[in-house]
Amino acid sequence: MAEHRAYRFQEEEYSTHFNGKTILRILGQIQRHWPWAVGAGVLIAVVAALDAYFTFLGKRMIDEGIISRDLETIYSLAFVYGGLIFVQGGGVFGFIYFIGSLGERIQYDLRQKMFSHLQDLSFSYFDRTPVGWIMSRVTSDSARVGELVSWGMLDITWGVVNISTAIGFMFLINWRLALVVLGIVPMLLITASLFKRKVLAAYRQVRRMNSEITGAYNESISGVRVVKALGREQANLIEFGELTRDMYQAGFRAALLSALFLPLVQLISAIAVGSIVWYGGLQAQLGNITIGGIQAFITYVAFMLWPIQEMARVYAEMQQSVASAERVFGLIDSVPEVADRPGSVDPGTIGGDLVFEHVDFYYDPSKPVLTDFTLRVKRGETVALVGPTGAGKSTVVNMICRFYEPRNGVIRIGGRDYTEFSMRAIQSRIGMVLQTPHLFSGTVRENIRYGRLDASNDEVERAAKVAGAHDYIVALEGGYEGEVGEGGILLSVGHKQLISLARAVLTQPEIFIMDEATSSVDTLTEALIQRGMEMLMTGRTTFVIAHRLSTIRRADRIVVMDHGRIVEMGSHADLIRARGPYYNQYTRQFRQEREMAYDPFQLSPIRVREVRDN
Amino acid sequence: MISNTLDLHGTLAENRLLGLWRMMTGFRWLYFGAAVSMGLAAVTKTATYFLLRFLVDEVLVQERADYPLVVIGLGFVGMALLEGVFTFSSGRLAARCSEGITLRLRNYLYDHLQRLSFTYHSKSATGELVQRSSSDVDTIRRFYSEQAIGVGRILLLFVINLAALLYLNVRLALLSIIVVPVLVGISVWFFRKIATAYEAYQEQDAVLTTALQENLSGMRVVKAFARQDYERDKFEAVNWGKYRRGRQLLLMHSLYWPSSDVICFFQMLGGLLVGAIMTVAGEISIGTYLAYVGMIVWILWPLRNLGRLIAQSSMAMISYGRVAEIIREKREPLDLGNHSPSGNLQGEIIFRDVSFGYSPGKPVLNEVSFTVAPGQIIALLGPPGAGKTSLVNLLPRFYEYTSGSITLDEVELSDYPRIYLRSQIGIVEQEPFLFSRTIRENIIYGVGRDVHDEDVEAAARAAVIHDVITEMPNGYNTMVGEKGMTLSGGQKQRIAIARTLLKDPRILIMDDATAAVDSETEAAILDGLHSLVGGRTTFIIAHRIHTVMNADLILVLEGGRIVQRGTHAELEVQEGMYRRIFELQARIEDELAQELRNV
Repeated sequence: MAEHRAYRFQEEEYSTHFNGKTILRILGQIQRHWPWAVGAGVLIAVVAALDAYFTFLGKRMIDEGIISRDLETIYSLAFVYGGLIFVQGGGVFGFIYFIGSLGERIQYDLRQKMFSHLQDLSFSYFDRTPVGWIMSRVTSDSARVGELVSWGMLDITWGVVNISTAIGFMFLINWRLALVVLGIVPMLLITASLFKRKVLAAYRQVRRMNSEITGAYNESISGVRVVKALGREQANLIEFGELTRDMYQAGFRAALLSALFLPLVQLISAIAVGSIVWYGGLQAQLGNITIGGIQAFITYVAFMLWPIQEMARVYAEMQQSVASAERVFGLIDSVPEVADRPGSVDPGTIGGDLVFEHVDFYYDPSKPVLTDFTLRVKRGETVALVGPTGAGKSTVVNMICRFYEPRNGVIRIGGRDYTEFSMRAIQSRIGMVLQTPHLFSGTVRENIRYGRLDASNDEVERAAKVAGAHDYIVALEGGYEGEVGEGGILLSVGHKQLISLARAVLTQPEIFIMDEATSSVDTLTEALIQRGMEMLMTGRTTFVIAHRLSTIRRADRIVVMDHGRIVEMGSHADLIRARGPYYNQYTRQFRQEREMAYDPFQLSPIRVREVRDN
Repeated sequence: MISNTLDLHGTLAENRLLGLWRMMTGFRWLYFGAAVSMGLAAVTKTATYFLLRFLVDEVLVQERADYPLVVIGLGFVGMALLEGVFTFSSGRLAARCSEGITLRLRNYLYDHLQRLSFTYHSKSATGELVQRSSSDVDTIRRFYSEQAIGVGRILLLFVINLAALLYLNVRLALLSIIVVPVLVGISVWFFRKIATAYEAYQEQDAVLTTALQENLSGMRVVKAFARQDYERDKFEAVNWGKYRRGRQLLLMHSLYWPSSDVICFFQMLGGLLVGAIMTVAGEISIGTYLAYVGMIVWILWPLRNLGRLIAQSSMAMISYGRVAEIIREKREPLDLGNHSPSGNLQGEIIFRDVSFGYSPGKPVLNEVSFTVAPGQIIALLGPPGAGKTSLVNLLPRFYEYTSGSITLDEVELSDYPRIYLRSQIGIVEQEPFLFSRTIRENIIYGVGRDVHDEDVEAAARAAVIHDVITEMPNGYNTMVGEKGMTLSGGQKQRIAIARTLLKDPRILIMDDATAAVDSETEAAILDGLHSLVGGRTTFIIAHRIHTVMNADLILVLEGGRIVQRGTHAELEVQEGMYRRIFELQARIEDELAQELRNV
């Protein structure tokens, strides 16, 4: 029954040792904002010390005021006390604000650094790294590091100052009793600390279960049609019941452990208080300590316990944060595989002949993507790349854009190895229209202008006209100022292609790359796209990953690929006569395309009437 | 464990606090026990200060030796032990309640969701429902485990310590709570502000996440246009916005904590001063003074958190409202129906003037009538929106027809319990859903009996997927879905077909189930089906003529009506849509031949 649960959500576990280098680097992040860090540190120390001093003032009020029946002293101590309250309030304000701002600032810095670096990383990085992974580095890991340098540092500074001032005052009041306390407390605190670790581990288990439960909900809701069709409700409920029962046990255990923790700490504190009463009482009878002194000791013990009982939590959080920092730095340190070579130049044009010479490409040597790929393309030629999914067509165009570089072999533009050129020189002269074009949220105009940021409104519209998108855009709600939605979600694939064609036109590229949409596009839009493509193709070296027969036929040359190799090459007529793989694919696709085009239902009388009536 | 099931539908209440109270049914005594324990713990804590008072007044000041210090010292330890026991048992009882209530809620919600109708699910977003069932439920759990308990603890500490202070000295006690209304007031006010600032911060966080995601998914465009600098600037603006809102949130916190600190400290100072004067004047003993100093802390400081708890409780109210909205929906009665045969169906189906619509006034099916003999294959053909899927969805009673009659083995369909119908009917959808399990588990999903590997493989062979599966590294144990291997649309469809075949239904519905597989494989699947059909009634929804050619009855639907019916041989010679589709395919072949000649 529970077989499927063998595959459990794996939460990343954290390394248990601290890496000194990482910690130094985290501290390096603070360097630039040192005034805040120093300001906060000083204020925390002041506030923590004042806390201890308030207790000492209370002691003096008892001993020097009440027991000595000296109202004058009482008033003057109260006056000091009152003044210090304001100092303390100001200090608390300052350190929360400073330390918190520092934390936010570090988070900001890290996010900016990571984002900036991501822009420079090569495609291979994005191929092997899931978007979700990158996202959580930039969002949650940066937050964790930010919290470590702010609230983590606060906890540590506070704890250290608090304990040391408390110990200092205890020794000031009675050193023998202070030694007694120092002897008892640490042993007991270790117990508490170890126990707290158990509590934290229990909560980690709860979180793990919780994400499993969320996953179960997600599946049963998105698969509800299947569940109903197969009548699986009861079996599902039983399976889910196992999960929730585990969750109940984990949750109960965690709650139980944390319910046990507080009494444990209180008991420890009571043992310390008990010994203060016993030994302090004896001392008092000898006249070595006052009543106020005993009272102060009891307060100080309670005082010391709080920071130290949090020790285990702070330690665990620090471990997590250091692990987060390691991942963040890992991202920042990753080196772009494709980058400008030293002495790279901008040749001023990339319009020359484009040649692949025995090019190999792979991510993993045992799985070649392109093998001994050789292709000479003359300036202005249109090449259609054809072949099944995974044949290597996208890799070819990605290599032209230099998203990847050949592992073996050379790609030459105008006779020169293109790695001698700068990335920008190549990429800023290539116009690309993707299969499912990506638009950025914003207006239509902003999206077209992405092709050339300094283009005037006029130029944007002219580009749209050339691409055949203008009429469509004007008909849109909001026209050029209409929002396209996140990723262009408000538009159809065909319309997104039209806009990205306009975007490419605006770039005035020397090489044009088009990856045709596989999904069906309505006939009118299709015609517009075809026209836009033609405009872009004329006079430019063009590569098309072609899915439409009309596009394929129109190409100067058709390259048929399979398993990373060229299997056939030539004009449409040549290849049809050859009766090879191209012929087979062509005839199959011909039938499909026609079936789609002659939508048999379109001609039915009812549909005709509907159209007429509207 | 306390009763694990409770019809939460009956506990719903307009007043959300009342609803939360009713949801506690069965746990109230435990909860009461937790409160009593907590009260006892507070009493013990207060008693400790009386022990301190005794120590100071009787032993230290009077210097009486008849109470050995060791005994008093142990008294402190004993008190702490007692307090610990009470605190722990209160925590334990409270955990029992909050976890128990949540367990019940989780199970109920899960079951409820899978028993809500198709109509409900088709209009709700999955993400939204998951969010409500996970994080809103967790917010409710925290209400029971933290907020309700926390508020109770603060109030008990306040009341018990105040009572003790009143016992010690009325004047001093009253003087010590002057600032309480102010403290509670600003606590509530500030935390309401903080909640707003936090929301703004979270909103900006969502904006940032979206911006990042968009950049990452558009990386090809960014690079293709060399727009890295532009993107950096764009992100920086959003990032800076988050930083600014973070600081605004901080500002609220950094104003609240010191100002409440100052208020509490001044209240303490006032008490200390007056207490000291009273002690000097001999109105109270020095031990009383010390006990007072200790107890005043427990009256004031916890109050600072009251605002936070109240702000959090209001979030729990919102969560409760969102969860209650789901619970309020009516379930589909799975077992309702007075005709529940013990054996299998024969599969004779008669539609008589059946009409159906998702919303009134917009009929999707219009007076549809036809008869199917057991074991026949029925093909449904027609343009999108003709009502094909709606028609087959009526059979397992996913939806109820609005007029007319459907009989199944001569019994009206609505007399069968849904659960029985669904055990007899198998459906393969156009875009089938696979679960994040192994392929084997996906195939046996929904089979209510033990199955042998041979059966699973036979089903997979019939669906023409066995060879594909065995070529995968882990074969039938390959994980699919989000955490596993990505399958093509055609592979998913074939696994879904295997799943349905293994269920061995008496009525099989293939809703465009082979749209994503190539024609050769489709032919193989259909062949496999015929050999497996074994007298089961089969409905096939398809677009290609050759998929439907062998059907016993072809129904051509349009606009919710049957416009043509018959076998392929009959329809081929009839004027109408069927022939048009058929002729079209011939025409395409002609065109292709011509095209090739012209090369």
